[in-house]
Order: sequence, then structure tokens, then C-alpha cells
Amino acid sequence: MTADAHALTAPEPGVAEAHHTGGIGNPVLGMLLFITSEVMFFAGLFAAYFSIRANFVEEGVHRWPPKEFANTLDPFRLTTEHGDLNLILPATIILVISSFTCQWGVWAIRRDDHRGFVRNIAVTLGLGVTFLLLQAYDYGVLFREGMTMGSGTFGTTYFTLTGFHGAHVFGGALMLAVVLYRGMAGQFSARHHDMVEATSLYWHFVDVVWILLFSILYLL
Amino acid sequence: MATTTLDPAAPAYRSGLYEWLTTTDHKKIGIMYLVNSILFFLAGGILALVVRVELAQPGLQFMDEAFYNQAFTMHASFMLFLFIIPILAGFGNYVVPLQIGAPDMAFPRINALSLWLLPLGGALMASGFLVSGGAAAAGWTEYPPLSGAKYSGTGTDLWIMGLTLIGTSSILGAINFLVTIFKMRAPGMTLFRMPILVWTVLVTSVLVLMATPVLTSALIMLFIDRNYGGNFFDPNKGGLAVLYQNVFWFYSHPAVYIMILPAMGIISEILPVFSRKPLFGYKAFVFATAGIGALGFSVWAHHMFTTGQVFLPFFSLMTFLIAVPTGVKMFNWIATLFRGQLTFSTPLLYALGFLSLFLIGGLNGAFSAAVPVDFAIHDTYFVVAHIHYVLFGGSVFGVFAGIYYWFPKMTGRMLNETLGKIQFVLMFIGFNLTFFPMHQLGLAGMPRRIADYASTAGWSELNLAATVGGFVIALAMLPFFWNVLVSLRSGKRAGDDPWEANTLEWATSSPPPAYNFDHLPEVRSERPVFDARHGRTAAH
Amino acid sequence: MSMPPRSRTGPGPVAALVIVVLIVLATLVALAATGITPQRAWDSFFPLGGATPATDRSHSVRSLYDIVFYIAVAIFVLVEGLIAWTVLRYRRKPGDDELPAQTHGNNLVEVIWTAVPTAIVLFLFVLSWQTLNTVEATSQSTVNVRVIAAQFQFQFDYLDEQGNTTFTQFLPAGEGGGMVVPVGEPVHVILRSNDVIHAFYVPKFLFKRDVVPGKENVFDFTVDEPGVYGGQCAELCGIGHGAMLFEVRALERGEFDAWLEAQIDKANATPAPAPSGEASGQVVQLSALNVQWEQTELTAPADTPFTIHFNNKDQSVPHDLVIKDGSGAEKFRGDLVTGPKEVDYQVPALAAGSYPFVCSVHPNMTGTLTIQ
Repeated sequence: MTADAHALTAPEPGVAEAHHTGGIGNPVLGMLLFITSEVMFFAGLFAAYFSIRANFVEEGVHRWPPKEFANTLDPFRLTTEHGDLNLILPATIILVISSFTCQWGVWAIRRDDHRGFVRNIAVTLGLGVTFLLLQAYDYGVLFREGMTMGSGTFGTTYFTLTGFHGAHVFGGALMLAVVLYRGMAGQFSARHHDMVEATSLYWHFVDVVWILLFSILYLL
Repeated sequence: MATTTLDPAAPAYRSGLYEWLTTTDHKKIGIMYLVNSILFFLAGGILALVVRVELAQPGLQFMDEAFYNQAFTMHASFMLFLFIIPILAGFGNYVVPLQIGAPDMAFPRINALSLWLLPLGGALMASGFLVSGGAAAAGWTEYPPLSGAKYSGTGTDLWIMGLTLIGTSSILGAINFLVTIFKMRAPGMTLFRMPILVWTVLVTSVLVLMATPVLTSALIMLFIDRNYGGNFFDPNKGGLAVLYQNVFWFYSHPAVYIMILPAMGIISEILPVFSRKPLFGYKAFVFATAGIGALGFSVWAHHMFTTGQVFLPFFSLMTFLIAVPTGVKMFNWIATLFRGQLTFSTPLLYALGFLSLFLIGGLNGAFSAAVPVDFAIHDTYFVVAHIHYVLFGGSVFGVFAGIYYWFPKMTGRMLNETLGKIQFVLMFIGFNLTFFPMHQLGLAGMPRRIADYASTAGWSELNLAATVGGFVIALAMLPFFWNVLVSLRSGKRAGDDPWEANTLEWATSSPPPAYNFDHLPEVRSERPVFDARHGRTAAH
Repeated sequence: MSMPPRSRTGPGPVAALVIVVLIVLATLVALAATGITPQRAWDSFFPLGGATPATDRSHSVRSLYDIVFYIAVAIFVLVEGLIAWTVLRYRRKPGDDELPAQTHGNNLVEVIWTAVPTAIVLFLFVLSWQTLNTVEATSQSTVNVRVIAAQFQFQFDYLDEQGNTTFTQFLPAGEGGGMVVPVGEPVHVILRSNDVIHAFYVPKFLFKRDVVPGKENVFDFTVDEPGVYGGQCAELCGIGHGAMLFEVRALERGEFDAWLEAQIDKANATPAPAPSGEASGQVVQLSALNVQWEQTELTAPADTPFTIHFNNKDQSVPHDLVIKDGSGAEKFRGDLVTGPKEVDYQVPALAAGSYPFVCSVHPNMTGTLTIQ
């Protein structure tokens, strides 16, 4: 504990390093707490979604999705009525894979394997960006089918939930980019890589949120 | 105690403006939190007087309803989000690292970010007064559909953006407090040796971490409805008007505990020092604080009993139950005073003011927990009385107790006792004169948030009394500001430990040096400085 | 380093006591000077200043209030007394240099002061739950009224057994207006809003219920005695919130039936043709916007009939015009106009002088008509 108390301000690197022996590092704990707050943020949006969905009445009967968009969010159809390719399933698979590559990167840096670390983080970043591009494409497809933010509560909840998730993916991608840049500059080691751990936690969180969103919006 | 006795005029506190603006030192950040909050306290206070002046007699004398609605909306928004919550965070910032023997907060730069988001958010909110249509005017709760695009102007968007920034500041601050408390305690400072203030900041931080993001989500949904054609709260498009209230109060009820728990912590620091006894029932206190935090998440719908859309018995039961841990605290405070040796310095006076007024704020809350009685008094002046007995009689008296208690530590100089007592007496009288009659007004049927009332309603005398009381409170601020200005220059030198206190902040110089401690006393109980003074080892 | 122990405690407690006594005395003198008797002061701690509430359900609310109140007063006296006694008894005296006993706590008292309050609040919870069931109870009712709240007025649809509107009472208050109900019989109320949230609040009923757009709330009440019971919106609904008043008029069943029949006849009759648009005499312009007169000073010639051209610009808000003389006697009453709509009021000749005018729906809308 002594070392902890002085770790952040002590100028000697030896002391700063020492706190790794006393449990998780401050940045990792900070990230876990930040993720807790993010969970509550999404919990608020999910609560709104479920309330609205449970109370939705159309033509006198409860149904969800509304008639107009009965098949719009079917993940398994290949093309839409306008002939666009439906790529939401591939996008989901890509994001899930990126969680694995991210974790492989973390394991690599824990072994001091710099090449494996940089390679895996680069792949993760690439997959994340691909997901964002696919999501942008998917929004375009939905717009063409007439589904917008103003399409009743169905459109509002869909675009708010996926939009905020997309913004979080974007934030995670920025963090990955910084990790990649610093990793290529050789700033991380098996002993000193709190930022890598924190970023990977965040990336996993973003991935889990998408799995939840996908299950609720597309499957349930 | 080998501490460096720094002169109050030591360079750290005479450094230039640039140093203050760019600092990451938790003490300077804490002081800037306090200053920023006091400025918004003044702004909110002026708006309160504006409201009181209009209500002093029947008829519209000074403003139209449009401005009146902005005045009370912004009064509450300033007081809650820019005064009470941040000033308590400011005390936490200044005191918590010192009390646990840490050199600074865990993330000093994020700490600075938390601070600077506040004036930014506040300015955004306040800028509503400059746009056409005026500031937000749908009450500090901003219920849709009234706060929707159809019924409210740009001021509401500015309010949402400002509050989102303030909320973000709170969340970052909470993360910072939690990591600091969990990871940076001095050797020997086990969890159950932490001062109660640290405990209350810990529980408050958990509440902020879990509740404030939900406010953010409510605000964002409202913003989307207002600006991007969303339909969350629009009943004509399948949205639910009351949904906002559920999400909002899921935050805002725990927020009441965010606004009172650290003040309870301050009181729990002061009572033992000025009665020369340890806090009675330390562990009971910790558990009561945690209990309030936990129950705080299950009572939000008691603000919505009259919506006809909540499960009444559950929320009624929970609301009654939350009185129990609060009562436990009250009895422990009194037991701390019992058989002590009380010295009536200004901090103790404010602490006693807190006890006697917060008691009323607790008891008149029980009326609203009884649902059928709530049907009668909800949205009347009775609940206005209740909230002010809790947040003014409680939190604000706690805040002033804290200011008088820690001012010597922050500046190295004592505040003047006579001026402090004059302020206390004026504030105590003014407070009761303002807010006690509101009970009767509410029982007589006066709804809140109205600019005018009929002269035949029988509410005129009590409203006049309340307005006079408001000006007495305003008057009480004059000796306070005079006291601060004079004492900063020529107050009595404080020394390290002017109050013969218990906790670690008094083991260093006043003001403390950068990184706080040259040497830490051994921590073997929750009163390390007391132990050192009396040459004691652990008491338990 | 250590400071010398303070031996001087000063006049603190004595001064505090003197101040408290002074405050109490000043309060009593102030009350006496304003003619407020101790009885009235005590009554002000009860709903409606101690007056009897007006509905069957409100009596049980009042009983519950009394129980909560007396328990709260008992706790208040006990705890404030403990604080005051402790503060006076245990102040530090000169020569108190030894530390007092360092008591850290006592588990038995902690258990006691956790258990006793728990018992008290559980008792209160059970009581209030029982009362809640009484207050929330609904039954078969012959009088069904749909209250529609809108910025910034109430209107009352009287429904038949199928729930269809038989007629609508537009005027929320005043002569010939208000929500008219029979005494001694349950009235079933359905609350509806098409704009923002309002609340139906009648202080004498010790009851309010929000009027939420998109979701209808219902409740029942039975009025005990004939009379006029004022009510107003209790949920902030915009700038006209404070002026959103209404009345509940309770009549004996016979009178109520007569009133009901007259209203139904009126609704079934073909609407009378509007008075001819021929304006006579001088035309004075008057308009209302946002529940405010846009002109609060009007001038018209003396001793000759004239026309007030009234433009109600408030969407779906009714206004009318009542002109009174100095003694308060009504000189002219124009028809209710729900905006946006324009009408011509034919005002009879008036003697020179100053006449206050008002919208009877919104008593805060006042102005002065000067006849010269």
C-alpha cells in the first residue's frame, strides 16, 4: 500500500512500477468503473426501449415490430426489397472476432511478444473500422427502406441505441489507434501496459453491448 | 509530529493565475470547486429572491409568468447541479486525499477536467437567458412534453447540454474518488479506519457512478426528441410521457443522497472534534450510509405517486424504510454529543443547525411516503418546504460547517468567530422564516410553480413572511463574505491543528505543502492525530 | 506541536438560549399582532387550516394525516429536546482539561434505535396502504365525467353509459360553469390531456391526480355537501399554469338532474344563429394571446352603444369578456369564444367612468375600460 500511495507522483520509475505487485493498476480500476457508468448509461436506454416496446399498440393490438417494418430487421435475409445486400450478420461476426484478436494482443504483450501484440491490435483496429463502415452502409440501406429516426418509436429507439453503440465503437477505435501507435513506438512491456489492459476491457464491453443489442433488436 | 510549518503566504498559494488555471493539485482544484460553487450559489440565490419578491403579494408586480418560470427553473438548476453537488465534491477533493494520507487524487489531470467542465456547463445553462425565448422554463425536472420542442425553446437545449457536461464531470469525479480511496490510502488506513467523510464520499461516488449516467441517457433521449425528430416521449407517436419521469427520477432520487451524504460526513467529522469524543457507533454509521445508498435506488417513484402509473405500495414501503438508517445516524450524532465537552465554535453551531433542521426535513418527508397524504400535498408548497429543510437546512448548513472548519486548513488563517456567529443566527432565523410557513401554505392548498395567487386565497401573510425570510438569508451572506475577505488577509494564524482534531489533514501544515505530507503519523484507529496527540496506541 | 486547551467556552449556550427565547417571543408577538389566535396557528398545521375536507375519501386521508402528524410531532419534540438538553448540559466548562470518557458505541442501543423506528415506519406503511385502498377504490357510477385538460383550461365531457359524450361543459369556473356533480353519489372521473401533463387538484378533496397525455387516469369521489369547490392545475404546464383554475359545483340530486337535462337540451338544440355581423357605433379592438390581454387599457365613448371586436388568438383556449362597474356589478358579459376565433361584442351604452374588465375563465386576465 505504501507504494500505491506514492506511485502516481513519485518521480522514480522504480516506485511507479512497484504498484503492479499490489493488485490491479489504477488505470485498469478506473476503466472498470468507467465501464460501470457506461453500463448504466445503456441500461437507461434499454429501459426506455423495453418500456416503449411493452406499451406499443398498433391498430388496437400489441405488436413489435410495427407492421411497416415487420421484416426490416430480419438479420437472416440476404437482400432487401431494394436489392441491397443485408450485411448486419457479417458485421456482428466481425465485431465478435475483433474481441478475440484484441485479447490475443493483450496476451502477447503480457508475454513481452511485441510483434504479436502490434499485429493483433492492428487487426482489431481494422475489424473495428470495418464494423463502423458496415454500420454506416446498413444505415443507408435502412434509410432507403424508409426507416429513420422519426419512424415512430421503432425508428427512434433503433437509431438511438445503435447510434450510441456506434459512437462507443468509434471511441474504442480511437483508443486502439493510440495503443497501436504507442505499441509501435515500443512504449509497452509485460510489466507496463495498463493502457492496453484498459483499452481491451473497453473493447470487450463495446462488443458485449453489441451482442445484447443484436439479440434484442434483431432476434427477440 | 514533524511537519513543515509553511507560512500562509508560501509561494504555492501566491503563484500566478496561470498556475491556478493549469494546476492538477487536488487542493487548488478543491478550492476552485468551492469558489465556482459559491458563485453559482449567489446566482441561484438572486433568482430565489426574484421568485420570492414576485410571490410576496398577490398579483403580478415585477415580471410575467414566462420570466417567473425561467427564474425558478434556473434557481433550482443552479442550486442543485452547480452548487450543492459540486461544492460537496469540492470538499471531497480537498479533504479526502489529505484524510487518507494520499499525495493527490489518483488521476490529477482528469480531476482538473472534472473541475473545468463545471463552469463550462454552468455557462451553457445560464446562456439560455440570452437567447430568444429565454432560459429553460419547464422546472428543473424538465418533464416532457412541456420540455419538448413544441412547447419549449432553445434555452432547454442549452440546459440539456450544460447538464450533460455537469453530469460527465460528476461521473469522472466519482471514478477518481473511488480509485483514490481504494488504491491510495496510507499504511495502516484500513477501510474501517477511514474517516466517515471518506466513507460518505465513497458511497456518494458509487451513487454518482450508477445514477448519473442514467440522467445522461434521459437527457439524450430528450435532446433527440427535441432536435432529431425522435419520439421517445411523444404520446402521439407511440412514446411515453411518464417514461422520462421514471428515468429522470432513477437518477434524481439517488441524487438527493448525493447532495446530503457528504454533508452528513462533514457533520460526522465536526461533532466528535468539538465534543472531544469519538464518533458514537462508527460502524453503524458506515452501514447506515451504505444502507441509504442501496435503498436510494428503490424509492425513485415516490416523486410520481400522482401519475397513477407506478406501483404505489412498494415505493411507499421503501420510502418509509429509508427513514430508518437516517434515524440511526441522527441518534448516533446525539450520542456523540452526549457526555462530551462541547465547545461552541462556529463549525459546531452549523453542525447543530444541521441536526435540528435536517430532523424536520426527515419528518416532513414521512408525510409524502404515506401515499394518500402525498395525493394531498404533492406539488404544493409542502414539498417545497420539505426539499429545502433537507437541502438547505441539511446540506447548506453542512456546507457552511465545512467552510468554517476547513478554512484554516485551506488558507492558514482562522475565520472570525463573531462574524461567523452573526451569520449563523441570521441564517437560522431567515431560513425558518422562509421555509417553515411553506408547510402551512402547502396544507392550505397553494401549488408550487405559480407566479400569482388570488388575494382571497388566504396565502398572502405567509408568503410575505417567506419573502422577508428570504431577504434575511441574503443579509446573512454579507457577514460571511466580509469574514472571508478580511480573514484571508488578516485572520488569526491557524497553525497545523487549531481545533485539536482527529484526522490526518491536521497532521500537516496549514495550508499543506504540495503532495501534502512530509511525514505521516502512524494510523492505528480512525483518529490518528488524536492518538498522536495523546500518545495513544489503537483504541480498538 | 500542541495548542493550549481552551478554557473559555464563552457565553455560547446562554446566548443561544436567549436567542431562542427571543425568537419564540417575537413569533408569538407577531402572531398576536396580526390577530392570529393560538387555535388558528395550531390549525394551520393541518390540511385546509383544519377545515373539514369535502369528500368521503378525504376524511380517511385526513385521519391518516393526523396520525402521521402526531407521530412526527412526538419524534420532533423528543429528538429536538435531546439535542437541546445535550447541548446545554454537556458544554465544556473551565477546568475541563481531562478528556471525557471515550465511548465508541454500544450495540444494544444501536439495535434499539434501529428496531423502534423500523416498527414505527412499518406501522405507518400498513396504515397508509389501507387508506390507499379506500382512496383508490372505484365503483359503478351513474355520473361519468371526462376531464380534458389543455393549455390552459379544463373542460368537462359528460358521458353516457356507452362512454359517448352527451355534452361538454366548456366554462371551467364561474356562474353557469364548472364541473357540476351531485352530492352523496360517486362521480367517476376520466382524465385526458392532448398536450402536456397537467394535474387535477381540488384542495378540499385532499386529492390530486396527474392528467397525462397518452394515458388516461381514473378515480372516483363523492362530495358530502352542496357547494363550490375551487381547484387548479398542479403540474407545471406552461406560462398559464397559475391561471388554470376550475370549480367543482356540487348540487342536490334534484337540482343536478335539472341542470343535466337543461344542458342536454341545449346541446341538442340547433345552435342559434350568430348575432348579425353589423357593427354598431365605434369599434374597439381587443385581443388575447397566451392567456393575456394584449390590450389592458381600452377607451370608448360615453352614453352610446359600441362594439368590441375580440380576437382570441389562443389555440383551443376559451375566453370571454365581462365588464363590471366600480362596485363590481356586472355591466356586460360576452359569449365564450374558443380560439382562434374573432367575434363582435355589442356593448350597451355606459356612463362615463372607469370599468374593470376580465375574462371569467382566467381571472388573472384583467384590464380597464375607460368610458369618456
